[in-house]
Amino acid sequence: MIATLAFYAFAAVLIGSAVMVVSSRNPVHSVLFLILAFFNAAALMLIAGAEFLAMILVIVYVGAVAVLFLFVVMMLDIDFVRLREGFQRYAPIGGAVGAVLFVELIFVLGAWRFASDAADLRINPTPGGSVSNTQAIGRILYTDYILLFQLAGLVLLVAMIGAIVLTLRARPGTKRQNIDAQVNRTGSVGLVQVPMGAGLREMGILRPPEPDAPKPIAAPADHGGHH
Amino acid sequence: MSIGLGHYLTVGAILFVLGVFGIFLNRKNVIVILMSVELILLAVNINLVGFSAALGDLTGQVFAMFILTVAAAEAAIGLAIVVIYFRNKGSIEVDDISTLRG
Amino acid sequence: MPQPTLLAGYFPILVFLGIAAGIAIAMVGGSILAARQKPDAEKLSTYECGFEPFDDTRRRFDVRFYLVAILFIIFDLEVAFLFPWAVSLGEIGWLGFLSMMGFLGVLTVGFIYEWRKGALDWE
Repeated sequence: MIATLAFYAFAAVLIGSAVMVVSSRNPVHSVLFLILAFFNAAALMLIAGAEFLAMILVIVYVGAVAVLFLFVVMMLDIDFVRLREGFQRYAPIGGAVGAVLFVELIFVLGAWRFASDAADLRINPTPGGSVSNTQAIGRILYTDYILLFQLAGLVLLVAMIGAIVLTLRARPGTKRQNIDAQVNRTGSVGLVQVPMGAGLREMGILRPPEPDAPKPIAAPADHGGHH
Repeated sequence: MSIGLGHYLTVGAILFVLGVFGIFLNRKNVIVILMSVELILLAVNINLVGFSAALGDLTGQVFAMFILTVAAAEAAIGLAIVVIYFRNKGSIEVDDISTLRG
Repeated sequence: MPQPTLLAGYFPILVFLGIAAGIAIAMVGGSILAARQKPDAEKLSTYECGFEPFDDTRRRFDVRFYLVAILFIIFDLEVAFLFPWAVSLGEIGWLGFLSMMGFLGVLTVGFIYEWRKGALDWE
């Protein structure tokens, strides 16, 4: 009973926030409503018994993907008013396509039924008893679906490399820390016997002589494009 | 009346349609289009979880997990492209991006 | 569908959500109902310690922050895949263990790549 009420409440908030995602005037609000939508979808998955997926949805989507969106929206100073042009113009055709799609989906929803032997065709029946959802997924994810699992790893690898290749630019004129050179540096500290009363400057031992004067950092030629 | 598969499919269908509608509505703003794609993938995940729960079959949840992975990678790369494009051109209008052709 | 004990375990979260929503609505609603609202342009403008705001809040910052966020997503997902593996390691045997080692190996290749490219360095 409570689960039923909770389902309706979460579904209503989910759909409401999805409407706000697509129709919000300010993309920052869109992202925040997207986060709300993810939370409510996680609640729906929880009600369906998919505990692990619900938690992953909160951790990965709310914690990382939505924050990434927020980051990009804040990072780019975009003239959002100009991007709103044509909002009214495309609304009818979008509404028409959406309506056709929705009617089709309603037809599908009204007309299907399970095959009579659907229960026997299950590939990985949910184990009953005290086996938790996470454990049940772990039993099949790494062995039965090993190929897909490795492919997921490759997809992540491609995303990682792609992101680095796309966004990383070596910029001239910036200083980096070279830890290796720092650690291996020797000879910069020495113990020197200084006669009493002699000024350090006269002795010329204030600090070891510079090997060569550091070259002034050249003004980067193509620095104008970034900031 | 308890919650059955039909409820989940309905929610998934509405979310999917909203995502498609969002692509049409905001067809100048790449970021909102990417968000709409995320909504569509979320609808797919809800469908998979609904079927998984109704049939008592874990396969749907495993596939939802993989969809989650692919969607996260897609969002990361898509947004990286948006950032780079904005840096080069100073705009993220979809109409401008069509000049990449030829 | 789900086991009733599973959802019963999450009931406190539902109660917590209800209380949080109730308090939030009560505060905002009480402020709207009880306080006198007389907004004008001066009151609604951004308050920044008495002077006019210099600039828009949106400003482009370094793309490096974004790169760190992306790499965080990737490793977040990696850890998400580690959870069920750790829970069920006793039952999936060597195949499951080696499968995860392969997955981690692939991501380690990416990690070494980003290390060598200097994506983790801060200038």
